Amino acid sequence: MSNAVAPGPESQRHSHEPIEHPYEDLGAVGALGAAAIDLMVGGRELYSVFVRTLYYVARGRREKGALVRQMYEMGNRSVFFLSVTMGFLGMILVYQSGLQAKRVVPDFTLLGATYLELLVRDFAASLGALMLATRVGAGIAAEIGSMVVTEQIDALRMCAADPIDFLIKPRFLASIIMTMMLIIWSGTVAFVAGAFTAYFAFDVPLQTFFNHQLVDYGDLTVGLTKCVAYGAAIPIVSGYCGLSTFGGSEGVGWATTRAVVNTSLTIIILNFFISGAGFLIFPG
Amino acid sequence: MAAHTSASPDRDKGPNALSSFLAGVGSSFLEIAETAGGMTILLGRVMARTVPPRVDSRELLKNLYKMGVKSLPIVAVTALFTGAIMVIQAATIVKRYGAEGLLGWGAGFGTLREIAPLLTALMISGRVGANNTAELGTMVVTEQLDALRVLAIDPISFLIAPRFISIVSTLFMMTLFADALALFGAAYTGEALLGVSPTTFYNGLTSGLLGFSDVATGLVKSIVFGFVIGLASCHFGLATTGGAPGVGRAVNSTVMASAAGVFVLDYLTSFALGG
Repeated sequence: MSNAVAPGPESQRHSHEPIEHPYEDLGAVGALGAAAIDLMVGGRELYSVFVRTLYYVARGRREKGALVRQMYEMGNRSVFFLSVTMGFLGMILVYQSGLQAKRVVPDFTLLGATYLELLVRDFAASLGALMLATRVGAGIAAEIGSMVVTEQIDALRMCAADPIDFLIKPRFLASIIMTMMLIIWSGTVAFVAGAFTAYFAFDVPLQTFFNHQLVDYGDLTVGLTKCVAYGAAIPIVSGYCGLSTFGGSEGVGWATTRAVVNTSLTIIILNFFISGAGFLIFPG
Repeated sequence: MAAHTSASPDRDKGPNALSSFLAGVGSSFLEIAETAGGMTILLGRVMARTVPPRVDSRELLKNLYKMGVKSLPIVAVTALFTGAIMVIQAATIVKRYGAEGLLGWGAGFGTLREIAPLLTALMISGRVGANNTAELGTMVVTEQLDALRVLAIDPISFLIAPRFISIVSTLFMMTLFADALALFGAAYTGEALLGVSPTTFYNGLTSGLLGFSDVATGLVKSIVFGFVIGLASCHFGLATTGGAPGVGRAVNSTVMASAAGVFVLDYLTSFALGG
């Protein structure tokens, strides 16, 4: 990693190489192979972080207060951010689907019920988790990345404390609990915001909108499975990105960036598989 | 954004809980106002460099390549999966009413107007916006910006304006790609899952229920999102203080401000553009 001084065209290009991996000189096949090997190595490391976290959840030492502190850090501090974004999201979704319904069938009686079903099954969990990935994931990666760069992780290892036990495990548990709570809360916010949008924009009475007849156990199961899966994925992926930081303050920035992108991608891919499985298991 | 300044748990206890809560609310509000003001001033400065154009063209091309071309794989993966997810979600409703001809219309409407611009913006904000903040933040922390000023090079027209323009145009082009790829993914998921042939899907798309205005709405949104992401990432990058942890914090604030700004402006744009 060269220490880029002036942002001249040449020196700057070099400063990105550690993360960008330009494969130009390898040829097309070589580049594909290098990318595949990178992906495999990354996947294996990620898997190892996940398995070690699970091991320490069962066997590790319990540090007093760490879990509660992480829950406060992730949960309470995200409530405002998540409420604002999900509230606006609820208004947009209802407004757009109202416009859509108006073009085909000018009948709004099932608008609320359909919206609630989609919210429970997908949108609350997935979009809420994408928001959490930016808020919580970036925070985890920035914090752990700074620790790596300032050699605090090495200090932990010297003290015979596995950073996974000490840093990732409390975040993992806190994230599973708080993601569930935050998503239930922000889903409620999105639904209420949507109800008022429907009331003011399309004159749908609130009694008609608050209709849960389309939500069944299948929808709830899929929605809650998503909450748990995303809650587990966020700290693992972003913690892995944080732990693999290298190279000074620039490295912390790269690690945070990678954490946001990889966590978001993981959420979208998990969403695809869980939704697909949910559709096949609970059709109709 | 505002969460940074909320009162710590021990300060909430005791007789001064109310006043410390109010102080927290007030300081969050001031912080939001400061960010919005800083971003507006930055926008003014960047705009002042565009007429007549005083933007470093080599930087512009380099950033367009780095932000645009290199983001293609992520946008492609996101769009394909998003299209597939949209069909899976619509599948239950389509099955219930047996309206298979409407699948293309239903998935297409949501994708073109809302989901494709929104998710592309979120991915670009993570990939490009955060990257940009990290880069600018590192330059600020290592005093490279001061070095530029010493050399009488205007950092806005050399660094900020090219990045800003690149982000806006990248997001616009990526949204076009994402629209196409999401509909492609949706068509084939519809065939695999529901047995709706891609032809029926495309017929549903083009049968007249969807018009150019739906595509245009999504594209206008993508430009608005590009402005927010570009401004947020440049603003927080330039405002970085305090070494390596500072860069991490700056990136964190960028992605949060971008996400919040994207959602709020999405709502306002939807309303402004109407049906």
